Amino acid sequence: MSAAPTLYVDRDTFVHRLDPRAKLAMVLALFVAAYMFEHPLAVATPLAVALGVLALTGGLRKLGRIKVVITALFLAGFLVWPAYAPARGPVVVSTPVFDLTEYELLFALGRSERIVAFIVSGFAFITTTSNEEIVSGLRGLGVPYAFCFALGTALRLFPTFLGATGTVKQAQEARGLDLSAGGPLQRMRNYIPLLIPVLMTAVRNVNSQSMALEARGFDTDRERTFYDRRTFRAADWGVTALAVGVVVGVIGLWWLGVGQL
Amino acid sequence: MLVAVVAALFAAVLIPFKALTIVPGVTEIRPANAIPVAFGIMFGPAGAWGVAIGNLIGDIFGGTFGPGSAFGFAGNFFFALVSYKLWGNLAPLSSGEEPTMDSARQVAELWVIALAGAAVCAAIIAWGLEVLGQFPFSVLGPVIALNNFLAAAVLGPPLLYLTYPRVREMGLLYPDVMDAPALSDASSSRSTLAAFGLAAVSIAWLVIGVGLSVGLGGGAFIGNTAETFGQGGSTPQIALGAVAFVALFGLSALSKSRLPAALSAR
Repeated sequence: MSAAPTLYVDRDTFVHRLDPRAKLAMVLALFVAAYMFEHPLAVATPLAVALGVLALTGGLRKLGRIKVVITALFLAGFLVWPAYAPARGPVVVSTPVFDLTEYELLFALGRSERIVAFIVSGFAFITTTSNEEIVSGLRGLGVPYAFCFALGTALRLFPTFLGATGTVKQAQEARGLDLSAGGPLQRMRNYIPLLIPVLMTAVRNVNSQSMALEARGFDTDRERTFYDRRTFRAADWGVTALAVGVVVGVIGLWWLGVGQL
Repeated sequence: MLVAVVAALFAAVLIPFKALTIVPGVTEIRPANAIPVAFGIMFGPAGAWGVAIGNLIGDIFGGTFGPGSAFGFAGNFFFALVSYKLWGNLAPLSSGEEPTMDSARQVAELWVIALAGAAVCAAIIAWGLEVLGQFPFSVLGPVIALNNFLAAAVLGPPLLYLTYPRVREMGLLYPDVMDAPALSDASSSRSTLAAFGLAAVSIAWLVIGVGLSVGLGGGAFIGNTAETFGQGGSTPQIALGAVAFVALFGLSALSKSRLPAALSAR
């Protein structure tokens, strides 16, 4: 189990200082760009922007943590999509089992790149936005407080439960539990001695947490404030306007057939 | 307030188990997939929100946050919500008892619920990712459904057997923490009909979605399917998802849980 779960990179860059809502707008614009384009070269543009942001903000190093996931997703997409693409254009790879046309190759490459662009764009948001900023940003967007509270509390409690899971795992392994023993079904059953103690630890916490909150007069129906209150500054407005511009521009290019196969 | 606390805490519980994957890859066989069914039955709406939020936070901490996270959120929400709505409402399949998992009939009922829950979760995620043009429905849908069902069917009974009595003793079951108006009872026949409808929509969405994805509506696999994949999913696939979502929301509103009745009959 990972001892340091957070992917946030604590730096003081221009991107870090932006309001989370502005960052969210920019990420959404990158999502839209990755979604609207089909040609691998066009999809590479939002991917390159996201990688650039990661490089500037120090998040590139953390990307290594999910390189296996990214590689697996890219390869899975690249292997699957040719079967779902029209067999247009010249054959570029010919085997006794199948022929791969140029269109199929570009289609699969574009789709796989899109998956990676989505993940890297989201990753850029996560590495530059702290958990508290995510929650206050959602509240700023009008998401109900009860939801924000649940999300914020869960985010804060995550490391605690991760630690508890690690402790229980070590304790059970010391008693002879082997999580990797047996076939898939047996391996699933091996998790029972781990699941129960962790779940019951959490259940016991519900009572104490709710009593502590009630004792302090907590009420999700009332308007709550955040310690880290931000105003939407000129830079935030500028980035949001840029995001809107990107979305409009991408839709315009799509309309003109640019970046399509 | 307690609902929010329960949701938050159980979301946090879900996350560590997301990391405990058995087969890493596109989607993993996760022991955590047993939790939505058990939490849905025990904690009701709070469990559904908790599981959904937990999945979202798992994406944030796991570095896979993206547009697909919205569908992971919705899929896991309905996985738990369908479990909450179906328990006790599937007469004559239902045991009419609390989910203590001390009888074969209860286990059989749980398996039926796990099948419906796994199907709706898989259908929502596969539909969403096809619309986003990430993976075809026919590739992802069956894999997620099988993973979800296996984990829920294998781990669900022991999980409930060991935790349900303790949770009930602590007064944290949803009939104990929810306001009385939220538990207002519907007629038994209406709830049963709605529950069967929920199960049918869940499974039908997955089956029809896979069929559309492999081009069963329009001819041979691959050839015709290729033409339906323009930008995102095909029009029939998108329409299917829209209709299924409306049906899921409508039937969820009509169906009332039977756990309070089982508790009062104790």
